[in-house]
Amino acid sequence: MKKIDTTPPRLFLRFFRWFCHPDLKKYIEGDLIELYDERVKIAGKKIADIKFIMDVLLLFRPAIVRPAKGYLHVNNASMFKSYFKIGFRNLLKYKMFSFINIWGLGMAMCVCMLLILMLAEEISYDQFHENKNRTYRILSKRLNSATANASSPFPLAASIKEDYPIIEASTHLVPGVGGDATCKEKNTELRGYFADSSFFNVFGFDLVMGNKFKALVSPNSIVLSMEKASLLFDDENPVGKTIEFTDRGLRIISMGLGNETDSKPVSWGSYTVTGVIDTKKFKSHLKFDALVSTASLENLYHQEKIANATNDWRWYSYCYTYVVLTPEKTDRELEASLNDLIKNHYGGFEDLKGFKLIPQKLLDITPGKFVGNPPSLHLPVEAYYVLGLLAMVIMISACMNYTNLSIARALTRAREIGVRKVNGAKRKNLVVQFLCESVIHVFLALLIAGLLLIVIIPSFRGLWVNQHLSFDLRANVYVYLAFLALAFVIALVAGIFPAFHLSGYSPVKILKKIHHEKQGKVGLRNVLSSSQFVISLFFIITTILLGRQFKHYLQFEYGFNSENIINIPLQGNDYELISAEFGKIAGVSKVSACEFLPATAMTSGIGVRKAANEDVISFEQSRVDANFIENLGLRIVAGKNLPEGINADRFALVNETGARQLGYAIPSDMVGRILDVYPYDKPVEVIGVMADFQFQTPVMADKITPLIYRNQPEHFSYLNVKVASSDYRETLTRLKQKWGAVDPVHPFRYQFFDDQLVRVNQWLGDLVSIIGFIAVLAIFIACLGLLGMAVYTTERRTREIAIRKVLGAANFGLALMLSRHFVKLLMISVLISAPLSYFLNNLWLQNFPNRVEFGLGTVGVGTGLLLVLGLFTIGSQTMKASSRSPVESLKME
Amino acid sequence: MKKYPLGEFEEIVMLTVGILYKDAYGVSIKKEIETRLSRKVSVGALQTALRRLEQKGYLKSFEGEGTQERAGRPKRYFTITAYGKKAMEYTKNTREALWRAIPKVALDLKMIATFGTKHETRE
Repeated sequence: MKKIDTTPPRLFLRFFRWFCHPDLKKYIEGDLIELYDERVKIAGKKIADIKFIMDVLLLFRPAIVRPAKGYLHVNNASMFKSYFKIGFRNLLKYKMFSFINIWGLGMAMCVCMLLILMLAEEISYDQFHENKNRTYRILSKRLNSATANASSPFPLAASIKEDYPIIEASTHLVPGVGGDATCKEKNTELRGYFADSSFFNVFGFDLVMGNKFKALVSPNSIVLSMEKASLLFDDENPVGKTIEFTDRGLRIISMGLGNETDSKPVSWGSYTVTGVIDTKKFKSHLKFDALVSTASLENLYHQEKIANATNDWRWYSYCYTYVVLTPEKTDRELEASLNDLIKNHYGGFEDLKGFKLIPQKLLDITPGKFVGNPPSLHLPVEAYYVLGLLAMVIMISACMNYTNLSIARALTRAREIGVRKVNGAKRKNLVVQFLCESVIHVFLALLIAGLLLIVIIPSFRGLWVNQHLSFDLRANVYVYLAFLALAFVIALVAGIFPAFHLSGYSPVKILKKIHHEKQGKVGLRNVLSSSQFVISLFFIITTILLGRQFKHYLQFEYGFNSENIINIPLQGNDYELISAEFGKIAGVSKVSACEFLPATAMTSGIGVRKAANEDVISFEQSRVDANFIENLGLRIVAGKNLPEGINADRFALVNETGARQLGYAIPSDMVGRILDVYPYDKPVEVIGVMADFQFQTPVMADKITPLIYRNQPEHFSYLNVKVASSDYRETLTRLKQKWGAVDPVHPFRYQFFDDQLVRVNQWLGDLVSIIGFIAVLAIFIACLGLLGMAVYTTERRTREIAIRKVLGAANFGLALMLSRHFVKLLMISVLISAPLSYFLNNLWLQNFPNRVEFGLGTVGVGTGLLLVLGLFTIGSQTMKASSRSPVESLKME
Repeated sequence: MKKYPLGEFEEIVMLTVGILYKDAYGVSIKKEIETRLSRKVSVGALQTALRRLEQKGYLKSFEGEGTQERAGRPKRYFTITAYGKKAMEYTKNTREALWRAIPKVALDLKMIATFGTKHETRE
């Protein structure tokens, strides 16, 4: 017979083999080959090929094609069932190990899940806009500033829409609406923006009442949030009604620290409500109580109540600009347009050389990179990187436990592996089996993590920072899917190494019992275990350090007296009237007033010079009344206190540092000198010099900087009421009564100065909580791992211990012998981690103002804590093992 | 409804399997049909029919030898089962009964009619 020198088209033959029902494959393939062979002989290869291909394609029909599934998998399903069954049996058999793994993984996963929840929440912002994928915010960035600014100049929105056809719509929001709205008897505080009709073209906000295309067109129209509308109008329809608005210069972001300063109330006249917006329904990074039509600005410019920036390209912090691109235009085209625009409008400004306008996708705002002057507070993406890194470190640590313990238990599993292999299991099957086991562990851990999460979420919501980040942390389907995905990834990460390691055993060696753990593997386990402790110690030391720093700030010696002082925001009221009223109350010993409260993170810098031709020295300025110095217990080292009365603003107090910087080393030389204070309009005489005190938040300034106090009542925004009686409640009720009599409009607000000073530093407390939480998890997971190793080792050496005891070894000696290896591990970890933590923490601490001493003490306490926990873990097992009766152990075998 | 469901192509395949007797496998059946009926038979159509007939129980198969021109792949031989024979007979009988029931005139007319149409189409 002639040998076949040609073969049918390989690709189609393979295709046939792939789709054909396995029952029929060999017969039909035979037929095909026979036919092909014949055709080659009769008609040549080309025609035979074509006919073969035709035949194969015609064979692709339901009767021939193999079933999509169920045929080969029937077998696999039962195999998987068996894997899971054996997995569960192993889990129950080695309860200790399962407990350690599941808790370790669960705690670590809970952190990851928290992070997923946070991210999911950030992503859920601004999803309701119709053009969300084509909408951009324009950021501005000066050449030398590290971060971009969320704001942009006023003319940008109109100009870019007009000059560049790629822009479909543009709008801008001008902040600056912040004050009181009054309607009949009712009153409420409004914070918001100026906006025009294009607002609704760009964004997906919709009105509950009113026409959104007309609402922001005419001057003096206002759109209210549902919440504020119901405060002002109860159940009445607010549209068409008029409200009076008095601006107090409130900012869009209220920090709640009680350090806000309001400017003097300015009446902006009456506004017609043209719409109501249900802001709660729209989850956006833009938050507002009210939108005032941009057309209203014209009037306010005219009355000089707001600075006119209509054509001011330089004032890049004036408003927030958003644009919508026409479909199919790219970021790059927008960038090019913005660069072109800069060329046209910024050519003449030398000081703004290198100024840039950068587009940022609307959906990239939350979570987004850190920007200056944001319209609302959000965790920047950088913070997520840090949190993600922490979560990953913890997760890896927990995965290490799993890997470590699984490998350590290899010998107990070795025989099973051997028998399986002899019975025909391939390595692939064993890998799948071990991965199944890690899947079981991780899913149980997922349950634990879910339960932990339920406990953690409320305390996370309760963190101080969350007042501003307003995390709600609600889960949705995607979040649950992400959790599942996380679980699978972790199962794979934790299980992959043991799966490949264990499945690689040679069955012959195992069954002949000549299999020995190689030294290298023990080394790997040691490295994994000690790196866990290195990480834990680092977190412990960092937590202790941060905690001490926090405590240091709380107990900070400011140099003024904040005890028994209640700070009351004036909310635009006449200071003299209210302070006179308050002064009459029995429990009040003294009332003073000031512009900025010392040490509450708000100051205002100004320039001061000795004469017009001298250098300007930057001072921090606040306006205080004559009682302020005494009320806060400030000391005057030279000269006199600020006088009361009409001409009081001719005089100023400076602090010692200020005097020194002005060139008067001796305070008394300073007194009586004339200073030129910004805006340099009239001379100011220094009437006295104060002793230095910390008037800035400790974290803001390391050294005390120059300070100037002047008595200008029109700038006061706080009253400082010193309470003499110990009955605060009584005094507060009286204060409230008086307040109500003088100002029926605004609610009475107050904060204790001491509380305020704590709150200003609370962010550090939150940081301590977060890092502390991570540290607890890290040390717990590391100890669990250590416990697992100790249990395993002592179990494996039961017989050895018993024989040693029979031969006369003492309990303690045995425990020592068993612990030696682990203690060595701990020591190595400490030796690596202690200097590392010292070094790394010093990196940030050295730039931290008013830092605590960081020395051997902190490191020592941390190390001690770690050693106690570690030794306790080891000791509990080794002591138990060594005190066991040898008879029992030997009988057991 | 049908007592012995058997399609037109299936019937041809069954008959061919009968003709070939002990030598009925994929290629031989295909060739036999192609030469006798001068119609093209694709491997796919044939295999589908064979598989269906086997599922219906009309045919049974056994594995044969593998030869060199088949690259060692075995042949799958088909034979008619008793049930299959019944089905064939039933089909044949029903056809014959139907044939018999047609009056002679009807057939004559039919032939004329067909001639007529042919003529028309030629013009």
